[in-house]
Amino acid sequence: MLKMDKVNKVYRTDMVETHALNNFDIEVGTGEFVSVMGPSGCGKTTFLNIAGLLDTFDGGTYSLDGADVSRLSDGEMSRIRNEKIGFIFQTFNLIPDLNVVDNVDVPLRYRKVTRQERKRAIEEALMTVGLTSRAKHYPSQLSGGQQQRVAIARALVGKPKLILADEPTGNLDTMMAREILDLLETINRESTTIIMVTHDPELAARARRQIHLLDGRLIDLQADHVVPLYRARKSFPASV
Amino acid sequence: MLAYHIRIAWKSLKRNPILSALIVLGIALGIGVSTTFVTSHHVMSRDPIPEKSSVLYYVEMDNWDPERGFSDEDPKAAPNQVTYRDATALMKSTIPAHQSAMYKSYLYVFPDPKVGRPYRGRVRLCFADFFPMFDVPFRYGVGWDRSADRTPDPVVVLSHETNEKLFGGINSLGRSVRIESREFKVIGVLEPWRPAPKFYDPHNGAYEEGDELFIPFNFVRPMEIRTGGNTSGWKDSGETFEDQLQSENIWIQMWVQLDSERQKQDYKQFLDSYVRGQQALGRMQRPLNNKLLPVMEWLDDQGAVPEEATSFVIISLLFLLVCSLNLIGILLGKFLARAPEIGVRRALGASRTAIFLQHIVECEVIAVIGGVIGVLLSILGLELVSRLFDGMFSLRLDWLMVAAAIGLAMLSGLVAGAYPAWRICSLAPAAYLKEQ
Repeated sequence: MLKMDKVNKVYRTDMVETHALNNFDIEVGTGEFVSVMGPSGCGKTTFLNIAGLLDTFDGGTYSLDGADVSRLSDGEMSRIRNEKIGFIFQTFNLIPDLNVVDNVDVPLRYRKVTRQERKRAIEEALMTVGLTSRAKHYPSQLSGGQQQRVAIARALVGKPKLILADEPTGNLDTMMAREILDLLETINRESTTIIMVTHDPELAARARRQIHLLDGRLIDLQADHVVPLYRARKSFPASV
Repeated sequence: MLAYHIRIAWKSLKRNPILSALIVLGIALGIGVSTTFVTSHHVMSRDPIPEKSSVLYYVEMDNWDPERGFSDEDPKAAPNQVTYRDATALMKSTIPAHQSAMYKSYLYVFPDPKVGRPYRGRVRLCFADFFPMFDVPFRYGVGWDRSADRTPDPVVVLSHETNEKLFGGINSLGRSVRIESREFKVIGVLEPWRPAPKFYDPHNGAYEEGDELFIPFNFVRPMEIRTGGNTSGWKDSGETFEDQLQSENIWIQMWVQLDSERQKQDYKQFLDSYVRGQQALGRMQRPLNNKLLPVMEWLDDQGAVPEEATSFVIISLLFLLVCSLNLIGILLGKFLARAPEIGVRRALGASRTAIFLQHIVECEVIAVIGGVIGVLLSILGLELVSRLFDGMFSLRLDWLMVAAAIGLAMLSGLVAGAYPAWRICSLAPAAYLKEQ
């Protein structure tokens, strides 16, 4: 589904160069549920942004769904984001002026879909997240858990092959977080690939595969080439 | 998609109503002021007699000083009026469908003592053809016929306002009006008629009040009626009235109606041969410079649209530009404040172009609302300008001007919104996603 080969991302200021991703390699198969962990500043969000075609990178190659997406125009990247990728954010990122239906409708507005098709897709997505009864509510009228479920419905509505979730439970209590994970697991069972960044080891453990990032490099706990340094550190929860 | 963008724009306006109102007001003021002055200019510069302007010609010929032209600024310019001698000679032509020499004067009019005191009325001396040539509308009666020109018959045509003043607006045909020492019989009363600009005599007050009474031109000699308009001369004009008539002073306007190209060519030939004849007699020693000016060219030549009107149009459009430029900063702040939302839209598949269009549409929605309010403001503005010109103009917005105002508003919206929209669509979406 997703393959990055020696991807580099460097943030430059006048004084400093920061290597957010350093010869970063990863391959995620179709239908996988991968959790990404790592300390702050290790490159998790940079990886997610590049994976979601929201940011550019400096070297290496990236192929998504079998196609090289390393050098695409803005229009082509937007189309891929719209059709193949769903995003879930820690702070939900719902548009406050729009009600639930209109928020879920946003991705469909950027593709040629008839009104009837849009209506059917929105209803289906809201049914999946169990929010049909809140269709006309505005984000401010919903709890955090409900808002995140709306965000999930918005990510699902376009039937993406890949969902990128950036700490989707970070702003939720434990009960709500578990509910959201249940929902993501249900979605994943329908062969949607999910890559989820989280700080919570318990939630990360529910993913079928866990990877860790450190200093812009990948440490894959299920893979054979685990970096010894990480093994030395992994007994310290603070470093995770 | 356009409907969606409009809906999003409307929601955005409602999100911050005070800021939105300020932006709309900025556009509305600019449009209100510019539409007022553009409309005024449009009305002043439009064809005052569109149904006939293609066949009406103002006659010019060069009787000026052989040593020095009529205009220092334009060596090709011919004198803008004709002499009495030339006017009476030209009136002998049988080529034009209609023709009239004319001038304005101020003569004492003596109303019935019960009605009012004597006053100096604005009198136009003209030929019978004046009325059919300019499609002058009559309420009662008609103009005099050509035989009345020759005698001349003591007949008068009253303006609508004069008939109101002298006879209370009744059908006054057959009644008598004393002008100076003579009694004139009323044979016609006009409908309200006040061409603006007064195209047939623009250099004697294009926007001044119209003529009040019309009498046959040929009373000029028996009543020794001097002109009340502009007179120009380059040679001693003598002392007596007869000397004046025979002088090179110009004070008479000459209009002809030439219905076909053939007529026009024939009349031009007639003019040329007349001038050559005068040159043989020792007059008109300048090169042949006869002109037949169509109405609009004549008005343009005379600067009938006041320079101030053109200046005001330029100033008002600059004002609109300043309003638009001021809005750039406000719109930039407004748009950048929603960068996180735009980050989300970009993540969900909106291209830069889609984001740019969304914001341009928002600017255009603002512009159209501002334009509509601006049009309402311009109605008030036109009322004020109309009062300044003493109600001479019917300064009303026509659909063309309304469409132009809305178009101008949309252009302003584009000018004001293009840069902020470009900035917001150029932002890297990833940078703002965590700020939502």
